[in-house]
Amino acid sequence: MTAPITIASLCHDFQDFRALHDIDLEIAAGEYIVLLGPSGCGKTTLLSILGGFIVPTQGAVKIGGRDMTGVAPAKRPTTTMFQDYALFPHMTLRDNVAFGLRMRGMARRERHARAERLLELVGLHGDAGKRPHELSGGQRQRVALARALAVEPDVLLLDEPLGALDLKLRRTMQDELKSLQREFGTTFIHVTHDQEEAMAIADRIVVMNRGRIEDVGPPTRVYQRPASLFAANFMGETNRLPATRGEHGLETPFGHLAPPQALIGDGPFTVCLRPEQIRSGTEGWALGSARVGDSAFFGTHFRCHLHCEDEAATTLIAHLPPEVQPQPGARLALSVDPAQLSVFAAEEVSS
Amino acid sequence: MAISNTLRGWGFVTPALFWTLAFFVAPFAIMVAMSLATLEGRELIWGLDLANYRRLFGQSFLSGAIIVSLQITLTVTLISILLAYPLAWIIAFRVPPRWQRLVLLLAILPFWTSYVVRSYSWLLVLSREGIVNNALMSLGVIAEPLQMASTRFATVTGFVHFFVMLLTLTIFANLVQLSPNYRRAATDLGASGWQAFRHVILPLTLPGIMVGAFLTFVLCIGDYITPQILGGNNELTVPQVIMVQLGRRGDFPLAAALSIVLMGLVTLAYLASARWLRLDRV
Amino acid sequence: MRRLQWGYLLLAFAFIYLPVASLVLFSFKDGSLPLPPFEGPTLRWYGEVLGDRRLMAALGHSLMVAVGSSLTACVLGFLAAYGLARHVLPGSLWLRGLLIAPMTVSYLIVGLGLLIVFNQLGIGLSLWAAGIGHVVINLPLCFAIIYASMGAQQQNIERAARDLGAGEARVITLVTVPMLAPAILAAFFLAMTLSWDEFVIAFLLTRFEVTLPVEIWSLLRSGLSSKTNAIGSIVFLGSAAIVLLLELFIFGRRRP
Repeated sequence: MTAPITIASLCHDFQDFRALHDIDLEIAAGEYIVLLGPSGCGKTTLLSILGGFIVPTQGAVKIGGRDMTGVAPAKRPTTTMFQDYALFPHMTLRDNVAFGLRMRGMARRERHARAERLLELVGLHGDAGKRPHELSGGQRQRVALARALAVEPDVLLLDEPLGALDLKLRRTMQDELKSLQREFGTTFIHVTHDQEEAMAIADRIVVMNRGRIEDVGPPTRVYQRPASLFAANFMGETNRLPATRGEHGLETPFGHLAPPQALIGDGPFTVCLRPEQIRSGTEGWALGSARVGDSAFFGTHFRCHLHCEDEAATTLIAHLPPEVQPQPGARLALSVDPAQLSVFAAEEVSS
Repeated sequence: MAISNTLRGWGFVTPALFWTLAFFVAPFAIMVAMSLATLEGRELIWGLDLANYRRLFGQSFLSGAIIVSLQITLTVTLISILLAYPLAWIIAFRVPPRWQRLVLLLAILPFWTSYVVRSYSWLLVLSREGIVNNALMSLGVIAEPLQMASTRFATVTGFVHFFVMLLTLTIFANLVQLSPNYRRAATDLGASGWQAFRHVILPLTLPGIMVGAFLTFVLCIGDYITPQILGGNNELTVPQVIMVQLGRRGDFPLAAALSIVLMGLVTLAYLASARWLRLDRV
Repeated sequence: MRRLQWGYLLLAFAFIYLPVASLVLFSFKDGSLPLPPFEGPTLRWYGEVLGDRRLMAALGHSLMVAVGSSLTACVLGFLAAYGLARHVLPGSLWLRGLLIAPMTVSYLIVGLGLLIVFNQLGIGLSLWAAGIGHVVINLPLCFAIIYASMGAQQQNIERAARDLGAGEARVITLVTVPMLAPAILAAFFLAMTLSWDEFVIAFLLTRFEVTLPVEIWSLLRSGLSSKTNAIGSIVFLGSAAIVLLLELFIFGRRRP
């Protein structure tokens, strides 16, 4: 029903292209892991290797302590929920969900009863006789989930499962996925490029880029204290300030800053500030005064462009609480809590 | 893993591959060899002799047949495109979507009947006492019945009838794939209806036209029945000459050489239209 | 402008149906010459056709050849399509080209090639020979239609079946074939109509037992006759029925 996974120094090449570099990852039994990254980062390749659809060029995959590197998909304790759901179009929902059980030789009556229980569980009670084309996108997604869970896999692999759904439905399905995972206790590995989705459901997020793991950790940690500049950018909007090593810390366009972490290397550095970390006030590290440019209301906050007056060229993006009522042209004193900042070695960042 | 996958793949492909090699490629190779053989009396002499090909250009009934075949095929292809395009257009853009499939299906229904029956039907229509002569005479257009059967006109009519349906199908398939926004964008940018057609729609439907034209060429130039039933024996096409060689004379080498020439013409047509066909994408 | 277009549509339909209509109409004429003026109607000619042993035998032969060759072409075409779409084969582009190649060659040439081979090997001509020829011309078609229906989405569905524990044989029988049934049936019926109507290969490769188009051909030597109209009408209506059934039950259903 559930199993831990160990991925050890995994590499994969597509002809001349190295899709995965030296991936090491430990996943605990019953964890909800989200592989997050832009398209082409290798997250889907990694999922296919876990599912057994691709044999890696190097390295090993252990599931539940057993080596699964070259084992065929059917012989693994994993099932995959495909991006396009891959429901069998010529079968009823009942037969779709019961298919895996049929392959395991379960008798018709028993497997149908089990399929119907699962359909009920995902909220499709009474639709067992329908065919996939009669369903909406969200319903198909539920059937695919029921079909994958019917064989009681140790590990469920989900390939962009919510990608085809509209935003509102996606939020609902995130909650359902999470609660089903809690109920079954199965290890879930879920691939997405949507960082909000990742934060909403993951126990741990694995941020990937160009075939490498950039960061692994719980959503709050990865968001607030990303391990790399890439992870910082990918997890959400950031303001990046250039910095160099000075006498007693960092020199930035806003003056001296005592580094919040130990610095690695000689610089130059990039200091990242999340928009919601910028406050109007003077406590902490003062950023001087700024004029409000464009400002848009988002319900929970105003998203403002702030033109810093002292340091001329810099424009910051800030999320200010509604009670600040930032009017375009108004002048604000800005500050941040230096403990919340992240500092990285500077590099070219392609957003 | 990769090796066993490939091996199993071969297992699936082998039966079809065997069939194609045994019953298509090998006979074709033997036919090429046959075209280089000669007939002395009733005896077949295998060899590498181009005599059969020299005869094709030396003897006027042979070279004449090639010219007749080409003339008929090109005429038919051209007329069929000109007649089929407006028909496909009207079905694609004028007929309400509800009825489109039905109208198209009806427009090409006679396509599905055999060459023999279709050609025979035209013989009924075009014969001396047939419907057309009957109608024209009772309308007073002509006093004497026109000789239409056993002429090139009849052959071309029979062919055009068939290929208008084929081309309507391929051009229609192409037209309905086009987003209506192409035309909207063109007219939005100031093109007149004709300009939108000339500069946007026509180039976009060219692949459909070319696929149809190529099929027309292949099927038309290789057809024996239509010219045989409708054209009579006044002028022979290449397939007719081939059949004469097979039947009366038993001259298989000459028939084989003529077939190779026929294939050569099809290959030329393919090369001329290859840009649009993309058979390799099948 | 709009009127002109409807007028053109009408004229085109008149042109397309003129020969077929006169074929069917004069098959009911009470008189042996199927030309105007029309007299009748009578079913006499249909009675004669049904009573004609040779025609009925030819009809049976045609059905046998059509069903047998289409079935063979579909099975071979399906296997080849599955092999090429789902397995990594070296030179698969060439293989596909080779399998498609007979489609671009005139039936006459396919028939002639087989005739030469059978003559040289001393194999007698028969319905079997014609059937072999019909598989040659229909195999590329069946292959192409079925191959085109094996897209990435279908591949994913097969993967899902494999992931749930199905072996290759079960994937094919439980998932691939039923899933692709519309395409496979379409290929089968298309091959059926083409084989059913095919003349030149059957003409070259059969001797004593012939197919219907060849039998009709020999009827034509005696000139126009209302009886030929009757058998021609049966052939036309047979093909039309297959096409209409295909549309109603296979293609018509695909619309959501």
